[in-house]
Amino acid sequence: MKAELEAIQAAALEALKDVKTADVLESLRIEYFGRRGKLTEVMKGMGQVSKEERPIIGKLANEVRASLTEAFEATKIALESRQQEQQLQEESIDITLPGRKPAYGKAHPVMQTLERIESIFTQMGFQVVTGPEVETEHYNFDALNTPSDHPARDLHDTFYLTDGHLLRTHTSPVQIRAMENQKPPLRIIVPGKAYRVDYDVSHTPMFHQVEGLLVDRHVTFSELKGVLVSFARQMFGDQTQMRFRPHFFPFTEPSAEMDISCTVCRGKGCRSCGHTGWIEILGAGVVDPEVFRAVNYDPEEVTGFAFGMGVERIANLQFRIPDIRTFYENDLRFLQQF
Amino acid sequence: MNVTLNWLKNYIDFDFSAEELSDRLTMLGVEVESVEQLGVALEGVVVGKVNSICPHPNADKLVLCQVDIGKQDALQIVCGAPNVREGMFAPVATIGTELPSGITIKQAKLRGEESHGMLCSEKELGISDDAAGLMELSSEISVGTPLAETLGLNDTVFELEITPNRPDCLSLIGVAREIRAETGNELKLPEVKIQETDTDIREMTSVTIDAPDLCPRYAARVIRGVKIGESPAWLKQRLESVGIGIINNIVDVTNFVLMEYGQPLHAFDYHKLGENRIVVRRAVEGEQITTLDEEERELTSDMLVIADATKPVALAGVMGGYDSEITETTCDVLLESANFQPASIRATAKKLGMHTEASYRFERGADPEAVIPALNRATQLIVELTGGTVCEGVIDVYPGKREPVNIQLRPDRVNFILGTTLETDEIEKILSRLGFGVEVSQSKDSYKVTVPSFRGDITREIDLIEEVARVYGYDNIPTTLPKGDIPVPVSDISVEVRKRIKQFLLGSGLMEAVNYSFRHPNCFDKIRLAEDNPLRDALKLRNPLSPEMSILRTTLLPSLLDNAQHNHNHQINNIALFEMSTVFLGDEEPGRVAGILAGEIGGGVYGNPSKSPDFFDIKGIVEMLLEVCCMTNYTFKKTEDPTFHPGRNVEVLLEHKRVGILGEVHPEVLGNYELPYKAYLFELDLEALANVADFSKRFEPIPIYPSVQRDLAIVVDKEMQSDMPIDIIYSTGGDLVDSVRLFDVYVGDQVSDGKKSLAYTITYHSATETLTDKAVNDLHDKVVKRLGQELGAELRM
Repeated sequence: MKAELEAIQAAALEALKDVKTADVLESLRIEYFGRRGKLTEVMKGMGQVSKEERPIIGKLANEVRASLTEAFEATKIALESRQQEQQLQEESIDITLPGRKPAYGKAHPVMQTLERIESIFTQMGFQVVTGPEVETEHYNFDALNTPSDHPARDLHDTFYLTDGHLLRTHTSPVQIRAMENQKPPLRIIVPGKAYRVDYDVSHTPMFHQVEGLLVDRHVTFSELKGVLVSFARQMFGDQTQMRFRPHFFPFTEPSAEMDISCTVCRGKGCRSCGHTGWIEILGAGVVDPEVFRAVNYDPEEVTGFAFGMGVERIANLQFRIPDIRTFYENDLRFLQQF
Repeated sequence: MNVTLNWLKNYIDFDFSAEELSDRLTMLGVEVESVEQLGVALEGVVVGKVNSICPHPNADKLVLCQVDIGKQDALQIVCGAPNVREGMFAPVATIGTELPSGITIKQAKLRGEESHGMLCSEKELGISDDAAGLMELSSEISVGTPLAETLGLNDTVFELEITPNRPDCLSLIGVAREIRAETGNELKLPEVKIQETDTDIREMTSVTIDAPDLCPRYAARVIRGVKIGESPAWLKQRLESVGIGIINNIVDVTNFVLMEYGQPLHAFDYHKLGENRIVVRRAVEGEQITTLDEEERELTSDMLVIADATKPVALAGVMGGYDSEITETTCDVLLESANFQPASIRATAKKLGMHTEASYRFERGADPEAVIPALNRATQLIVELTGGTVCEGVIDVYPGKREPVNIQLRPDRVNFILGTTLETDEIEKILSRLGFGVEVSQSKDSYKVTVPSFRGDITREIDLIEEVARVYGYDNIPTTLPKGDIPVPVSDISVEVRKRIKQFLLGSGLMEAVNYSFRHPNCFDKIRLAEDNPLRDALKLRNPLSPEMSILRTTLLPSLLDNAQHNHNHQINNIALFEMSTVFLGDEEPGRVAGILAGEIGGGVYGNPSKSPDFFDIKGIVEMLLEVCCMTNYTFKKTEDPTFHPGRNVEVLLEHKRVGILGEVHPEVLGNYELPYKAYLFELDLEALANVADFSKRFEPIPIYPSVQRDLAIVVDKEMQSDMPIDIIYSTGGDLVDSVRLFDVYVGDQVSDGKKSLAYTITYHSATETLTDKAVNDLHDKVVKRLGQELGAELRM
C-alpha cells in the first residue's frame, strides 16, 4: 500500500506539470480527490491494513494528501496568475489615442492682465471700486481741474452723446465719485473701460484703464514711488528697472510718468522702446489741491496720490500684438493663444 | 518741438553729450522723444583739394586727379565731372563711404587706372538735385575736414515733447533755461543793438487795441527800405535743422526769433495796411479774410483779428492775411510782436481747424515780457539781412500788464509732500536757478517766491514744490511704503457673483469675448427686436467714428452674433463664447452676462466626437450658472421673443422675476449674420442675480438611513411637459421623496401614436427610519395611481 501511495503521488505530480487550464486542473483534482478518486480509493482501503502498519501507513497517506493538496493549490495560483497576465496583455491599448480633454475656456487676454493688476493692488490693501462709463463734463474734466479752455483737453479726444453726456476718457471720474461718497482714508483702484476718439494699430476707441487713489492725512510722493515700484516688480519681475520722470496731468501736482526697462531689449535700446531702453507704463502724481477742493476735502488736512495705467498697453508688453485692434475681434484662434 | 545741440550752445554753456543732454532733459520733464544725428549720411565724406589733373590714358571723358585730403599722400581719383579743375575744393567720398544711393565706395580700377575714392556732386551726396558737376567748396576750408562739419551738419536734433503746462519750453532759450537749472551756468542771451533813424514811428503808424481782454499787449516796429531775398546759409541751415520751411529773409527771421524766444512775430507789408495803421479788435460777424494759406475764412464775432483802418489783415495769433503778406516787392515792413489771451486763440484755432506754430504757443500762454526783446532781436536781424533802416521807437500798447506773482513757500511743506529731507538752502538754490526770486520771509519758516513772467503755469505753493521735486530729481526722492491705515474693505456680493459666473463659464469651455460698447443702429433689426422694444432706445454718439460704432449697446447679443459671424467667415466653427459687460439703458448701466453656442462643440477627436449644440446645452449652462450662484429656485417659462425660434426659447425666472432669456436663434436672425448652422444664446441680468445671490451656507446632515430607488416608466400624451409628473411625484411622496430624475424620453413604435414614454428614477428616503420594502411599495403604488388619475398616465410595462 505504501508503494501504491507513492506511485499515486508521483503520477499526480507528474500530471500537474502538464496542466494548462483551470478545467484540466479540476478534472485532475476529481481524478485524485473525487469521491471515486484514486487517492480516495486508496484511503478507503485503510481498514485492511494491519494494526501495526496502520499508524505508519496512515501518516504516509496524510503526508501524500497534504503534499498533493499543496501542489494542486500551487498549480491553481500559477494558472490564475498566468491567466491574469494574459488578460492584461490582451487589454493593452494604443496610448497615443487622444485623451478626452474636458472643455475649458480662456479669459480674454486684456481681462487676464486687468485681473493681475487688480490682484497686485488688492494685496496692497487697495479696494476695487467701479463707476459709470457715461459721464458728465463735471466728473470727467472740471472736477479733475481740467476746465473747458484747458489745453490738456486736447489730449483727450472725447466721444460725446447726443444728450450732452460724454463717454469717460479715463476712469478718473470714479475717484471723484469715491471721494464724494467716503471720508479719508481712501485706498482704491478703479478698473474699467474708457473711450477716446482714436483708431489705429496702437489705439482702440474703447480701452481699459486701472486708476488708483490713496488719500490719508499724510501721504507723500515717496510713498507713491514705493507703491508703484512694488507693483512693477510684481507685474514685470524683480529684474525690472524703473524710473520716474516729471510729466503733466491737470489733476496731479507734482506729476510723473513711470518707465520700466524695455521688456524686449532689457534696457539696451531697440525698436520697441524707440532706442531709449525705457517703456512708459503709467502716469501718476500727488493729488492736486484743486481736486480735493472739488470734493470738499481740505488740502491742508489730507494729501494723496493717484495713478493710472492703460491695460492694453501693459498686456501688450507681454503679448507683443502688432495691431491692438486684434484684441476686440474675438477671433477664437486669437483667444485660444492666451 | 525740435532743438539742436549746437544751437542750444548759443544760449548756454554745457558739456553734455547728446545722450547725456537727452537724459537730463527727459528727467527734468522735457521729454526727448527722439535724437537724430545730422550728417550721418555724409560720414566718410571730407573736403579735398584737386592738386593736379592729367588725362586718363584709356578714356577721353575721364581724367586722373591727385586729390589732397590732408593725408600724407594725395589720392588718385578718376573723375568725369565737367567742372573739375586744378586747385578746386570739392567733397571726396573716401573708401568705405556709403552714399545715399546705397553705393559703397571701394578701391577700384576704372578703365585700368586706380581710383581711391570719389569726387562728388551735390546730388550724389543727397544734398540737392544738382548733378551738373562737382559740388564746389570754399577754398578757405582746410582739407580733410568732414563735409558734414563744413555744412554745419555735425549737429544733433532733439525732438521734444513739451507738456501743455510748459509753453516757456517751446523755444531755444526756454530749453536753455532748463539746462541752467541743471548746471547753474548763466544764460547767454543775444546782444541786441539797433541803430534807429530819425523818423519817429508814431509818424508812420499807430496801434489801437479795441479788445484789451483778448490782447494784453501789442508792440510794433517799422523797418523801411528792406530788400527781400534769400536768407543766408546759416539762417536757412538753422531753420532746416529743426524742420521749419524757408520762405524769404524777413519771414525766416521771424521764424528764427520764434524758435529763439518762443514769441510769435508777424511781418506786414506796411503799404498794404489801410491808413498804415493797426486796430486789434473782434471780428464783425461774417467778416472775411484770406489767410496766408490762400484759404478764404469766414469769421465770427468771438474771433480776434488784427485789422487796418477798414479790414482784417491777420487772424490774431493764428495766421497772417494773404493780402498784407511780405512779397518780393515789399520795401517797408511793420513788425508785430504781441501777446494774446490763450482761450480766445485756442477757440479760434479750433473753430477754423488752423493749428500753427503761433497758435500753438499763444493758446498755451506766451510770455508778455518776451514781446519787446523778441521784437528788437528780429528788427536787428532784419536790418542785418535786408539792409533796411529802423524808425525811431517802438509802439508798445500794454493794457494787460500784471504785477509779478508772489507765492509763499514753506520748506517744511516741500518735505511733507515729497517725503524728503531737503535743506532750505538746497530748495533756495533750485528755485533761483529756475529764475524764481527767493526771499526769506521774516518768520523764516517760509519763503516769498517771485515767479518770472515766463512761468505763467506757476501760481501756487504746490507748483513750486513740483519745481523743486523735478530739479532735485524724482529718482533721488526716497521710495517708501504707505504708513497710513489700510481702510476696512467692504465686501460686494456682485463682485463675487461675477467671479463665480466667469469661473463657471470658463470651466464649461466658453471663451471670454470682449467687444466694443459701440454698435451699428441696425443691430436691432438684425436680431428682429420688436419695434416697441425699449432696447431700441439706445444712446447715440454725437461724433461716432463710423456708423458701425454710433450707438451704445443695450444688449450683448448682437456683439456675440457678430463674433460668431467673424469666426465662421474665418472657417472657425466651434463657437462657444461669453461676454460680461455693462450695457447702456438710459441713465442706467446694468451688468449683463451673455453666451453663444454654435457650430460644433466637443473635442472633435476619436473618442470625444464633436456635436452640434442644442437647446439643452444652453439651458444646462444657464441652470448650472444659477446653481453656481447658489440659486436653485429658478424656473423657465416659454415665451415668444422674436430673436429666437418661437418654440425654443424661454424666459429665465428667479423667484418669479424675469432675469434673462435663452433659446435657439431664429432662422431669420441666423440669416442676417450669415450663419449656416443653428446658434444658441443666453443673456442674464447680473444685477438681478446679485440681488438674490446668497452665498451663506449651513451644514445639512448626511443621511443616516439608506435610500431606495425605484424606476418608473409612464406613457402620457406627447405634448405633456416632462415636469408635470415630477410635481405630482413630489406632492404625493412628500418628505419621503428625496429626488426625481427623468432618465428617458421615448417616442416610437413601442408606444401608440400621440403618446410618449417618460422614465424616471425616484429616490425614496426617510430622515428618521429605514424604509421597509412594503412602505416603499405602498408609496410607489400611490404615486402611480395619482399619475394615472391626474395625468392619464399608464404604467409602461
